Amino acid sequence: MEVDTSLSQSSSPVPLPLILQRPSVPAILIAQGAEALLFRSTYLLPSLPCALKYRPSKPYRHPTLDLRLTKHRILSEARVLTKCRREGVPVPGVYALDEGAGWMMIEWVDGEVVRIRLNEWLSRRAQEGVPQGVEDGKLVGLMRRIGSAVGRMHGVGVVHGDLTTSNLMLRPVPAEGVNGGGMLDGEIVLIDFGLASQSTQDEDRAVDLYVLERAFGSTHSKAESLFTEVLGAYEKSFKGANIVLKKLEEVRMRGRKRSMLG
Amino acid sequence: MISIGLEGSANKLGVGIISHPHPNKPAQILSNIRHTFISPPGEGFLPKDTAMHHRSWVVRLVKQAMAEAGVSIADIDCICYTKGPGMGAPLQSVAITARMLSVLWQKELVGVNHCVGHIEMGREITGAQNPVVLYVSGGNTQVIAYAEHRYRIFGEALDIAVGNCLDRFARTLEISNDPAPGYNVEQLAKKGKILLDLPYAVKGMDCSFSGILASIDLLAGELKANPDKRDPITGELITTADLCFSLQETVYAMLVEITERAMAHVGSSQVLIVGGVGCNERLQEMMGLMARDRGGSVYATDERFCIDNGIMIAQAGLLAYETGFTTPLEESTCTQRFRTDEVFVKWRD
Amino acid sequence: MALECINLEHVPASHTIHAALFQNIKNASFLHQQLLAGNTEFEYALIDASVIISRLHALAAIYRAVNDLLGNKLRSRNVHSEIVFSLSPNNNIAESFRRFGISPETTSLLVIKVSTPSSPAAGEDIQSHLSKVVDGEQVDFSDGVLRAMTDMVRVKKIYKLNYSSGVNGRGKENAVYGSDRTSQDSKELEMLILGSMALRGATN
Repeated sequence: MEVDTSLSQSSSPVPLPLILQRPSVPAILIAQGAEALLFRSTYLLPSLPCALKYRPSKPYRHPTLDLRLTKHRILSEARVLTKCRREGVPVPGVYALDEGAGWMMIEWVDGEVVRIRLNEWLSRRAQEGVPQGVEDGKLVGLMRRIGSAVGRMHGVGVVHGDLTTSNLMLRPVPAEGVNGGGMLDGEIVLIDFGLASQSTQDEDRAVDLYVLERAFGSTHSKAESLFTEVLGAYEKSFKGANIVLKKLEEVRMRGRKRSMLG
Repeated sequence: MISIGLEGSANKLGVGIISHPHPNKPAQILSNIRHTFISPPGEGFLPKDTAMHHRSWVVRLVKQAMAEAGVSIADIDCICYTKGPGMGAPLQSVAITARMLSVLWQKELVGVNHCVGHIEMGREITGAQNPVVLYVSGGNTQVIAYAEHRYRIFGEALDIAVGNCLDRFARTLEISNDPAPGYNVEQLAKKGKILLDLPYAVKGMDCSFSGILASIDLLAGELKANPDKRDPITGELITTADLCFSLQETVYAMLVEITERAMAHVGSSQVLIVGGVGCNERLQEMMGLMARDRGGSVYATDERFCIDNGIMIAQAGLLAYETGFTTPLEESTCTQRFRTDEVFVKWRD
Repeated sequence: MALECINLEHVPASHTIHAALFQNIKNASFLHQQLLAGNTEFEYALIDASVIISRLHALAAIYRAVNDLLGNKLRSRNVHSEIVFSLSPNNNIAESFRRFGISPETTSLLVIKVSTPSSPAAGEDIQSHLSKVVDGEQVDFSDGVLRAMTDMVRVKKIYKLNYSSGVNGRGKENAVYGSDRTSQDSKELEMLILGSMALRGATN
């Protein structure tokens, strides 16, 4: 979810879910999207951090519709997350939820989003004067891990709906802690399933990949050519992945060129 | 500079004359008249009949517009017409008229994109600087933001336009099409209060309306067969007003949502609503609440400019003409498919 | 061993939680009877500890029940029965009592008491009552003790975690994880159970 900078000038304060209004460990606002707020809080114990996703009610919607939508979206996201987790797809676990109140508590994922790490890496390489195209094992490795993780998710019948490098995290792996894990090291964890759906349609999967491809193009243009590594690893990740890649070619050509009829 | 604009991509035939007296001064609307082809209740308008209507009214309207504006042929600098998108036959009728005037009066032609016309007129009237634009009409539903000389489409309806959905429902209920089916649905909706459970189809930045149309048509059928149908939750009798109310609340919520998503994406807090459906008060109200929540505001125009009209074509056309753009006679075709982002918006930075 | 007073995050101080864990219970039938009879002196959540895999597992259910109490959303009689119900992966209340609540066969028992402003209860009173009526050995309410009591086969069956992709079904790529696979596996199991409880029946 993007951090929405336009809201910093907003006149209305950040709405808090009721549970965060009871004074305990103060929650920290992490991100504010169009749909939901993300806080860092704790679950059950002060030592157990969690991410709290809160969908405040929207004043423009009819209250009945608003509640219906909020409940549906919280449950839908929780369902997708638990399904993924059960099937071994690396996502945060669901701790607790209250769909009527519009919140969900999920496992806190340590680490950083791929978007930031990747840009740090690319700028460091540029500073070191390493020309593009020179073999970069770490970068290739990262791309492959991304492809595998996305493939794994598609393989269990889930489509993310908003695949960008801000929704992929690199979680430090304990065993590598001694070496001070490298910038691009870590386990890929997929986050923010607010727009996800359960689908096995190749079209939906291809669109998922297309969104990620475009995200690479616009945010990390220097790494754009390496997207083929993502797709390469994706192809090997589940049966039928190659058909998705063929669909991707179609989706690319279409892009936003849906015809209009006046 | 002065231009005359001709619009007829759907059932509204509009002729407008606009003046740009000075680059730093606002545009002056010299005349803006329109005549709508209204079909009987329960029916939509067919291209053939619509084209016939346009052909029989256009000369009259052009003469009237020029008389109201107090301009002569010599005063006019260019003839602007809707190149597309829209319905084939009606578009052609207007294109032929424009070509005829061009040859008769020896004036240059400017082909205009209908959607860009809406946007430019909206900007001119409201003064909104760089808002996210929601363009909603019987034929279009798009969320647009300007970037680098293009009106980029951020989100859109994947199947039918929201206006089309509302108009078709009006047909289902056999509501009058006068002055417009959507307007009558809006009036009926004001009397409704039960919010029925309808499919809400937003997918990321896009939305779709065929599902909700199918559902509401089904409900209307059930209501007709069984007028004693009650809402399971409140136990109250369901009326057609409730159907209209539920449909509006749901589709408008969808539109506000995709607009908000685009605003979050580009970091904007202003919204401009254009297109026929933009006249709807409830939509304007909902959009205003959302924009206010984000510390921004909503801009909308009244029915003179929301609904298809000739002045918007004159405006967008003149802006293009002033950058040196013209449409040679051989290229003065019209097309049913013409995406908003195909236009190179040279007149903006 | 004494009754433990627990504070949970986001639960106001007005609602305190007391927990006691017992093993080698001899009078399960008697205790069960009191519950069925609705004996007001036995307003406790009486949980069969063999289906509780960890402290967190129990605390998650307690939190859910207390949150629902505070939100006026109890589905069962009171907050104590709600704790038992909150352990369930579905909405069948009767089934949840059979699976997670005390039965005549229970040998390990977790007792929870929630003290609220409308029905306050003091720690010493609870402890002395339990010492009197529970015929068993009070032990530490800890993960280690609980794990020894756990009937893992039953737990996996209840939460439907018997699939071959493995509890930590991440596959071969995860070779980097340390040798302590068991603790990783039980942590993963716990995570899946928490998710199951959170959704409670709203799965597809």
